[in-house]
Amino acid sequence: MKYMDCFRAIARHRTNEIVITSAGNSGQAWWSATRDSVASFYLDASMSLSTMFASGLALAQPELKIWAFMGDGAFCMNPGMLMVERELNLPNLTHFLVSNRVYGATSNAALPNLENNDYAAIARGMGLQRIFEFRSVEDLERDFPRLAAANTPGHTFVVLEVEPFDATEQKLEQPPFNGTELKYRFGRHLESVLGCDIFGYRV
Amino acid sequence: MPDKTPTIAAQIADELSSCGVKLVASLPDNWLMDVIETIRGDQRFVHVPVNREESAIGLCSGAYMGAMGSAALMGASGFMTVVYALTKINYTYEIPLFLLATLRGAGGDHHKHHISNGLYLLPVLDAISMPYQIIDDPDDIGLISRCYHHTRTFSRPMVVLFTRDLLRGRHQ
Repeated sequence: MKYMDCFRAIARHRTNEIVITSAGNSGQAWWSATRDSVASFYLDASMSLSTMFASGLALAQPELKIWAFMGDGAFCMNPGMLMVERELNLPNLTHFLVSNRVYGATSNAALPNLENNDYAAIARGMGLQRIFEFRSVEDLERDFPRLAAANTPGHTFVVLEVEPFDATEQKLEQPPFNGTELKYRFGRHLESVLGCDIFGYRV
Repeated sequence: MPDKTPTIAAQIADELSSCGVKLVASLPDNWLMDVIETIRGDQRFVHVPVNREESAIGLCSGAYMGAMGSAALMGASGFMTVVYALTKINYTYEIPLFLLATLRGAGGDHHKHHISNGLYLLPVLDAISMPYQIIDDPDDIGLISRCYHHTRTFSRPMVVLFTRDLLRGRHQ
């Protein structure tokens, strides 16, 4: 399926989920599909850590529903993250693995072992149980309510098999914020939604 | 008379709890095993064993954005693998992070494979302008709170480095 069609479909199903994107194309795609800069955190400055960041947030605030995107380039750098995710088994976290079989942010350079990597099998091997795989927008649209169902036990892992960005998509705008601005926009939103105090720390 | 003095590990755990730390993400170092086991069995904490040190950086940074206090606990060698994550996440976004690590390769460490940590750990910290506090004496364990609070004021990471003498007792 086309990368952007996939992201637009997911964006249509979003209600109040908090979103964390990864280094690579997922930040560009989510920004293009939503233009959201308060309930989405673009963790561009990290390879392979978006779902760990999302796990920390999900652990801290169990009432939030959190979607975390990660490319398979980032996944290849730290697949053991799934061991930690499985151990935590957070029911409010959905890990979307965007599999385009390339390092999308670096001119679509090929991944190692790209034809053989079976991400769902890797997840099963680490004990994950709620695993979904999608290769078409039609299947994604049909089954999305099932993967996003509330009150399901345990962490959810979703493999999205997409085509790499084409030359035009590679030029999609990056979220136009610096790091600290993103931190405050996102954090202030969470403070207002949760009534918690992130930045007003006092000794 | 049994000795009622809290162990070093218990004092460290008490100090972490006193400044609001709830999540502790760790990878082991032999010197830290008493601390890790103490925290793992302490209901005041959520202890998460992680697959690599960078994962601890991600977890604790996310917890901060959820208003949960946290600490990342690791050996010196593990710390040397996280410079990318620290500079990218915690410096770029100015997200506070509190780390506890071992001062490997210093006097009293008899392991030759930690020579590189002895040579380069502190210079690496200086190179990335990351503040650190060495704790060598049980009377200084209270500095943990001071350093934790500094990360929140400073909006960047800071590391407390434990010596062998503190964690394992004085050695030749």
